[in-house]
Amino acid sequence: MKRWMFFTVGVVLGWGVLVGCEAEKPLESTKTTIDVWFHTGQPAEKTVIEDQVRRFNRSQDRIYINLTLIPEGDYNTQVQAAATDNKMPDLLDLDGPYLYNYAWKGHLLPLDNLVSPRLMAELLPSILAQGTYRGRLYSIGTFDSGLGLFGNGKKLRAVSARLPTSPEEAWSIAEFNQILSDLGQIDEDGMVLDLRMDYRGEWYSYAFSPALQSGGGDLINRRDYQSSGGILNGPAAKAVLGHFQSWFKNKYIDVNTDANSFTGNRVALSWCGHWEYPRYKEALGDDLLVLPLPDFGRGAKTGMGSWSWAITSKCRNPELAMEFLEFLLEPAEVIAMANANGAVPATRTAIGLSPLYRPGAPLHLFARQLEQNAIPRPRTPAYPIITSVFQQVFQDIRYGADITGTLDRAVKIIDQDIRDNHGYPDLDRADQDRAVR
Amino acid sequence: MKSSRAKSFGGNEKRLEQLTAWLMAGPAIFGLLVFIGLPFCLAVIFSLTTLKLDSPLPVEFCGFEQFYRVFADQGFRQALVNNTIFAAVIVPLQTTAALALALLLNRPLRGMIIFRTIFFMPVIFPMALIAIVFELIFAPGPNGLLNSFLLFLSNGYWQPLDFLHNPHTALAAIITLSIWQGVGFQMIIMLAGLQAIPAALYEAAAMDGADRWQRFVHITLPQMRNTIIFVALVTTILAFRLFDQVWILTQGGPNRATTTVMFETVRAIFKRQDVARGAAMSVLFFMIVLTVTILQRWLAKEKREID
Repeated sequence: MKRWMFFTVGVVLGWGVLVGCEAEKPLESTKTTIDVWFHTGQPAEKTVIEDQVRRFNRSQDRIYINLTLIPEGDYNTQVQAAATDNKMPDLLDLDGPYLYNYAWKGHLLPLDNLVSPRLMAELLPSILAQGTYRGRLYSIGTFDSGLGLFGNGKKLRAVSARLPTSPEEAWSIAEFNQILSDLGQIDEDGMVLDLRMDYRGEWYSYAFSPALQSGGGDLINRRDYQSSGGILNGPAAKAVLGHFQSWFKNKYIDVNTDANSFTGNRVALSWCGHWEYPRYKEALGDDLLVLPLPDFGRGAKTGMGSWSWAITSKCRNPELAMEFLEFLLEPAEVIAMANANGAVPATRTAIGLSPLYRPGAPLHLFARQLEQNAIPRPRTPAYPIITSVFQQVFQDIRYGADITGTLDRAVKIIDQDIRDNHGYPDLDRADQDRAVR
Repeated sequence: MKSSRAKSFGGNEKRLEQLTAWLMAGPAIFGLLVFIGLPFCLAVIFSLTTLKLDSPLPVEFCGFEQFYRVFADQGFRQALVNNTIFAAVIVPLQTTAALALALLLNRPLRGMIIFRTIFFMPVIFPMALIAIVFELIFAPGPNGLLNSFLLFLSNGYWQPLDFLHNPHTALAAIITLSIWQGVGFQMIIMLAGLQAIPAALYEAAAMDGADRWQRFVHITLPQMRNTIIFVALVTTILAFRLFDQVWILTQGGPNRATTTVMFETVRAIFKRQDVARGAAMSVLFFMIVLTVTILQRWLAKEKREID
């Protein structure tokens, strides 16, 4: 009996090993392997990148792209661990603002000299802004993001809400509060706003720090990136977070555990990014509206930045990695990815070709916002700490924590981290090389 | 437990015996030193510095600064409170439940192995899987599994709760799922303990006219004392290590209601890149668990002397 079991286990394991080897086979010896990491969020993105890698590998005989997919939730933790362990791949995509920390530590290669001038001229200003740290370009996204309010036209018309179409016309916060209250009165369960509380991690900083900026606050003082004091815990930031807390207290927020609050017609408004457009459109059809975020006092602001590609300093063949990156940035490829995830295409030609983003198209608002009122997240190596603290702040405030105390504590943690790191001083190249080893 | 004492043979043989003992214990001692002793020493050293995860800046010695900070941190204090509550609830409850289950499953019944397997099954499921299942069970709104069940039981009077995101129920929810997952392990140990009790004792008691309850109190419990102490000890240590459920289900929220020392430590290191702080937390944590364990051993020993 026992011997039989051992035999079975042995066979199964052996078969697994054999199959595993089989899968590795297409690696031809004449090709240079470039290890690539990509996050898996939406299934459609995964399909496209896999297809792109397959086509690229087949299209030439010098480079073999070895793609590894890593789940989005803990992606940055994984990359961080790999960086510590000196096991970074050659090319990887990073969630926008983590870039500056990796760049500061010397894990990334500047791309300035690798990118062709033709491509440079093509890229959106927001892509360059997001990818630049202390004057050098470290990353290039093939798409940018759009953040706004998705509205259910039927429900909004039922309370005769004014429907803004541009950032200038955005609802003032007073108007927005009135609309929430009006909607709440006719709604079955009173929950009318979806803040995508089912998301985790970076979402909170990406989606809600523009509200701080719109009210006149911010995550950190951007003059020198040395302190959050008086900015994150200033009166403006407190007022903005006060609005959020009141929405939770008044039970306007659908916590959306099943991610279907908007598509299931439970709420009238969803504070969300471009990536949900395809699904929302399918559910609501012509009733779907794309609106700017409310104006908390100093003009409507919105987020920018998304996942972007960077070449690590571990990469032995940066030109080859760049070749793959240039391939991903060809108009047809940019469009392929943008069509799959609904993102704003990163190049001008692609935007012009995009059925979603060209002037007059349904998501043109997002393309316009990127030129007009989108703000990059703080471009500082302290960002991982800032965002982790702000995520906690938002969670605490959601559950009714005292705003002043919460923000004061947050500022203390951020400022202490910056002090601990001696203000994240610029390290000269030689220092960086030593750091990278 | 009876131990047969080694009779003294010639000096040579004794030395040989000692050598064998060291040889046998060698791999385990080596493993302990390399995988537990060394990391702990490193943690103590790290906790006295400013070490950051993968930082290009030079590491500096900063004395007990990290410990001051950890103690001043509300999150860490709340984590200690939560761990204590968790242990205080789970140790008696889970130990009792395990004993009850073991008694129930210690009967010569047809197909008993199937029941035992069923109760043991959650132990071998990965916590990630269990957490996801319980996320569905605890889902908010009237359509959540538990909510709709309670609505049915209360004939519609139950007010649906968001169990995992309500500061009053979140820790209780975590405790419930932890007991469900962990009780099978303790049950198996209890079962082994029960089966080691000589049947003759029960036969003698039955002849003396002891009823079921008397037999339980005067034979089963005293005979099981070592097993119960062991189970309580292991459960305490496991309770202090609470992490997976929290990481997957609540991320320490709402309002730190479910944060734990392990959770705070992992977050300090991997989210805030603060290795030194995480090390300080682990060192403190080790001291606390050690103290609790020693205290528990000491209390249990005391009782034995009174017996």
